[in-house]
Amino acid sequence: MFLVDVSPSMGATRSVELPPTPSGEERTTEMTNLEWALQFVKLKIQEMIFNGRKTDQCGVFLFGAEETNNVVNSKNGGYEHVAEYIPIAQPNATTLAKLDAIKPSETSGDPIDALIVGIETQDIYLEKKRTWTRKIIIVTDGESPIEIEDWEATVKKMNALNISLTIIGIDFDDDELPFHEENKSTIKVENEAFYHKLTSSLNNGLVGTCAYALQEIARPDIKQTKSTLMGTVLRLGDVDVRPEEAIEMIVKVSKCTALARPKSWKKFGRIEDDDEMKIDGEAEQSEVFAQLKMRTEYYIDRSTQEGEEQDQMDVGSDDEEDRDKNVEKVEKEELIRGFKYGSTYAPCPDGQFPRLNTRKGIDICGFFHAKNFRRDLAMGEVQYIWADPGSPQQQVALSSIVQAMFEKDVFAIARWVSRDGMDPRMGVLAPTMFEKIDCLLWVQMPFADDVRKYTFASLENLVSKSGEKITKHPYLPTEEQLDAMDKFIDAMDLMDAGEKDDEGKRIPWYDTRLSYNPAIHRTKQALFHSAVVNDIASNPLPPPHPELLKYIEPPRRVLKHAREAIAECKAAFKVKEVPKKVTKVRKDGHVRARDEDEDMLLLDTMAPVSRKGKEPALSHVASSSTMPPRTPKKPSDSGSETEEESDQELLLLNKQPANPLPTPDRSMSPDVDPGRAPGRIIGATYPLRDFKKNLAQGDVVTKAVEDMGVLIKEVVLRPFASRRHKEMLECMVAMRDTSLKEDEVDAWNSFLMDLKESCLQEPGNPEFWEEVQKLGRSISLISDPEAKKLGGSSEFSESSSEAFIQQ
Amino acid sequence: MPPFDDWNIIDEEEEEELQDASFFEGKRDVILFCIDCSESMHELRDDPNYEDVKTSHLFTALEAAVQIQKKKVIVGPNDSAGIVLFNTTCSSEAKNHATEIKKNSFVYQTITPISAPAIQELIQLLDAAREDPELLRSTFPPLTGKKMPMGDVFTSCNWVLRDGAPKTASKRVFLITDDDNPHPGSKQLLTSARTTLLDLTQSGAQVEPFFIATPEKPFDPSKFYSSVLLPNVLNDDDDDNEDTGVLPESISITRVEDLLSQMRFHEVPKRAIFSIPFRLADGFVIGVKGYGLVTEQKKGSYKYFIDLGDRMEVANSRTVYLDEDHQAEFDKTKIVYGMSLGAPAVEDGSDEEGEGTESVSRIVPFGKRPFYTADEIRSFRTLDLEPGIKLLGFKDREELVFEDNVKHSVFIHPDELVCLRPILGSRNKLSMQKYSGSKRTFTALLKKMIEREKLGLVLALTRRNAAPIFCAMLPQAENGDEGEWKEPAGFHLIPLPFADDIRAAPMEEAFRAPDEVKDAARAWIDKLCVKNGAYPPDSYPNPALAYHNAQLQASAFREEFDPEAFEDLTRPKYDMIHKRAGNLMKEWKRALVNDESANAVIVTTGTKRKADVSVDEAEIRSKHEAGALGKLRVDQLKEFLKSKSQPVSGKKAELAERVADWLDSH
Repeated sequence: MFLVDVSPSMGATRSVELPPTPSGEERTTEMTNLEWALQFVKLKIQEMIFNGRKTDQCGVFLFGAEETNNVVNSKNGGYEHVAEYIPIAQPNATTLAKLDAIKPSETSGDPIDALIVGIETQDIYLEKKRTWTRKIIIVTDGESPIEIEDWEATVKKMNALNISLTIIGIDFDDDELPFHEENKSTIKVENEAFYHKLTSSLNNGLVGTCAYALQEIARPDIKQTKSTLMGTVLRLGDVDVRPEEAIEMIVKVSKCTALARPKSWKKFGRIEDDDEMKIDGEAEQSEVFAQLKMRTEYYIDRSTQEGEEQDQMDVGSDDEEDRDKNVEKVEKEELIRGFKYGSTYAPCPDGQFPRLNTRKGIDICGFFHAKNFRRDLAMGEVQYIWADPGSPQQQVALSSIVQAMFEKDVFAIARWVSRDGMDPRMGVLAPTMFEKIDCLLWVQMPFADDVRKYTFASLENLVSKSGEKITKHPYLPTEEQLDAMDKFIDAMDLMDAGEKDDEGKRIPWYDTRLSYNPAIHRTKQALFHSAVVNDIASNPLPPPHPELLKYIEPPRRVLKHAREAIAECKAAFKVKEVPKKVTKVRKDGHVRARDEDEDMLLLDTMAPVSRKGKEPALSHVASSSTMPPRTPKKPSDSGSETEEESDQELLLLNKQPANPLPTPDRSMSPDVDPGRAPGRIIGATYPLRDFKKNLAQGDVVTKAVEDMGVLIKEVVLRPFASRRHKEMLECMVAMRDTSLKEDEVDAWNSFLMDLKESCLQEPGNPEFWEEVQKLGRSISLISDPEAKKLGGSSEFSESSSEAFIQQ
Repeated sequence: MPPFDDWNIIDEEEEEELQDASFFEGKRDVILFCIDCSESMHELRDDPNYEDVKTSHLFTALEAAVQIQKKKVIVGPNDSAGIVLFNTTCSSEAKNHATEIKKNSFVYQTITPISAPAIQELIQLLDAAREDPELLRSTFPPLTGKKMPMGDVFTSCNWVLRDGAPKTASKRVFLITDDDNPHPGSKQLLTSARTTLLDLTQSGAQVEPFFIATPEKPFDPSKFYSSVLLPNVLNDDDDDNEDTGVLPESISITRVEDLLSQMRFHEVPKRAIFSIPFRLADGFVIGVKGYGLVTEQKKGSYKYFIDLGDRMEVANSRTVYLDEDHQAEFDKTKIVYGMSLGAPAVEDGSDEEGEGTESVSRIVPFGKRPFYTADEIRSFRTLDLEPGIKLLGFKDREELVFEDNVKHSVFIHPDELVCLRPILGSRNKLSMQKYSGSKRTFTALLKKMIEREKLGLVLALTRRNAAPIFCAMLPQAENGDEGEWKEPAGFHLIPLPFADDIRAAPMEEAFRAPDEVKDAARAWIDKLCVKNGAYPPDSYPNPALAYHNAQLQASAFREEFDPEAFEDLTRPKYDMIHKRAGNLMKEWKRALVNDESANAVIVTTGTKRKADVSVDEAEIRSKHEAGALGKLRVDQLKEFLKSKSQPVSGKKAELAERVADWLDSH
């Protein structure tokens, strides 16, 4: 039961702080005290809607209302200006909408009158529902006069009915928040004192200030779910054949952990105003949002021929149109359920085959030492296993097993069937002893089918191709690095980083029991917020409650202590970030597992250990009989030179075939470009020449385009770059042309975006970008239509490409 | 219709939890078995399992191919497989179309989605070969005197893959041979092999070699293959150990008997589920990849088919959102999200009931928006964090307790390259970030954490649409014998429960066992405890899954399924239990009966005004023996059944029958 003060004083406006805008400005909004206080009421009611219980009901009374409308008044008269605004019922969205319509009145009303009416109404409503808990919440600013006689009688009545009373006062003083209103009116001071007196004489009474109440309502609050006890049987041995030996115990299981998920969102759509009448008829336009319903439709693709069946993933956007024509909608009734067995079809009208015949219960299969338990294999939620609460004998039986297991420090392997005929699960039972009770904990473990045995490269045992163990390598940490890490681990220790316990000793930081799931609570907060405000753009969601964020950063104290260790680590390990581009799609349409070029840059940053020559170049060595299927080489004027190089390579290879480290291509290029960084095939001195030469060579297109991009960016961003602008533009034209023809579209597009961004940044080179813009569309992003002409594809449309260069 | 990829990413926030399994189904896998058919592969040997049966390496290899296909077809019904034989004179005119398959290699099975007939054909061939050991030799006559250049073999593989494999699939070649030196002395052929292999790799295929070694003829990879199979050839997905001068890790040299089990390890292509930065501290970031090493393998889900007369076709499903009043499809991009509006107004008619529909709607003044967009929703879930793992600190190993578990763990391994996924909305911004030095940092951290017996506490947001979770980071040292599958070195991320996930114990007090009874229990636990044992996942194949798959296979092969032949390996070994501990268990039972507290009666202090339903088991038993169970009340019968964890549904007669059954069996 909510009793809301609508006296004129409630119409006073106040400014409320809003969360800062994305740009960080402070924002405030004006609202009346009433509107402000009603947020609390709405949030409370929203919580009821959220929980959706039939036994959560509420009603709203207004006092200080113009009209009088209540049961007591109609029976006995008196109790003026108290109006029943919303009769007691299960609340819904309409309830909230009605609250929005509440406006401050011209008269004032007496909260005690309202309280008495509230008690009476509630009592009548709950006449047959004696077990319900009764709560009354008064929302007031305490500026209206109160008739303070007989209040003891009211208290008596409330205590008799076991009603709890909460008074939410606007700008009441609160030492805890802390809040203290200046220039408080005498009447308010008196009223506040009275409210404190009133609530303290109640069994269940509370006064709070509105600001605090609003803050607290956002505090993460855990929905306590009581796990039900499910009966099952714990067995050891064959109870059917050898019952005199086999053990069978009645046990109850309940959940120990259960993954809680955020409440789901409902989908809404704005309904287009298709009936114009409405718009014409009403001066005030409104937007209607309706909840959307989900429907599943089925389609078949008649064009699909056997053998070349493509799944949805394969169909690129380009042939989508063809696809649409062949797609046909079918009714679910015409369909038959079945399984795919490769390209064969195995009908199964029931949706599943007969199940394995199993019997409900938990069968112990054996025991093993707890130290051998692989914690990382545990798969799901944990369950408690309790002895039958009704049978002391069963309790002793389970307790004896738990204690024995605990003493020996073993776990049991068990097979669990939750119901007759259900699929069995395997898991581990761990003994647990609480203060006054012993129980087992169960966690599911994987079947053989559930464990994936991927092979990984060893981190420490690197073996060279000659079979020797490598002890020094950029992948292996040095002694110095290990030491740095050691200090880092020490510095970041959380074991004594928490709060102090009763004895003044610091406890470990982070406790699962205090870590709230941010997704759940933030989502809930947002859900509530959207339900109580009408426009989230002008009244955005307040920031998350600090309680939600307390574990998302390491404790400050620890970080402070660790600063030195962190710096040392950074210096020792020299981890570098190198931005990289998208993996490109090969000309032949195959996606490569990984572009081997992608590691070139990494090598640059490290000691030149064993840089391998460009493998693609080697492929020219292939003997005629094994000429690999490859894309035609780009015709070039320097073809003869390529031949030469190939020969050289072959020669080199023949000379030192046992060399595990193929010769870097650098050494065989006739003139070493001083401007060429190690690992790059394009030098800064004659970039265009290098580029063309490399293209002529054939298979290094990807690398050439990539290096060209890096180089252009480098040159452009250097000081005094203007003298090379023209040259760079030429390079870009050549690079784009090649990108388009050789299907390096993505490389070009990401290069260009990167370039634009870099040029326009500080300190960039906006002049150069302007010059680029002058070239217009022909230099912009490669669009999909453009790429398609040459068999490629791009993620950009023609118009976005157009727009990109103009902006 | 919305753009194709739009409805393909069906509601990412809903898919959030579906994750791993669907991920694996999404990608397709192609395996090409490339089997050596030379003289030595044909050589007949005694079968290790059956007496008087001759077998050959080729036979075993083909059989392994069958087994792998059988398994694959169930795990990934869209996967494809093919078989190429080399070093045979069998010509491949009949089967290959317009491709340049090199001489002396033979495409036995082109790359097609695995199908029941293809597997059956192969099985029949093998059955026939079992009868007549010479059959394989006559079907696939070996090339005598010389060997086919390995380069040609790889070229053939490339062609076969190109013809049959779908674009996006992961492609792998399982190379099976027993010849460690096919081209003694020919540098030319070695180079060509290396070159063609490189081509194969570049077209996206990986080669996974399985080398057969016999006691008489050990396999020495350094003779030929170590120089051909450059590490980057085995660039399986992430291992950028190019240039490291390191021997590839996935060469398997096995005895022929282990061929199948070796292949099993490689059966599922290794795929990372995420690749994100791992922030150790501000400005101290490395790259890691995550793998689901423990993921529940579920039965395949059924599909809807339509009978087109000549063939069956799968119907694809698609979800659309409708606005009830207009029955029109709603544009997905315009959907907004909000709170359920509660039950439709029951008591009043002021809501827009006039339209005669049940749908609830919310009306706000024009230009206002009381709902969130998809992007806003995501930011609530992720708290605006970017995908990544953030180290919060270190704790002692003991801090991770048994009950702090809600989900399976994820394994992380260092990666120098990290792909940051595009931001929704600005789809074109796909960026890759590379953290050089990740490996050494990761290794140092791992080594030190193992040494210090610490575990890490991290905050992880693994994908853009997931919710942040706290995880315990458990170090795992490399572990395992040479040649076997090794436990990889890395960290396990074990998701910790939130306060919201933890449930209180519903019981607080119970009778406890005195030492005598405990000791009696200890006696049989001692006997049933496996020395140095652990939970052995490998010995427990999922029986329900196997049962389902066996039926599926039988149905596809149009064979009769025999449920009797099915063996459930997870059933407890009753004989062993009774043999070892039977008597001790009997002892314990006796001790239990003699215990005083066990015979105490719990005084129920219930305030419920229910009739007294507590019934003595002895009383019921005597009623049962007298055939007078019917005299008991329904609630008494129910109470009794409940106390025995039996179902309590049904009519009185059924209840009585169930009670009788229980009493008979106990």
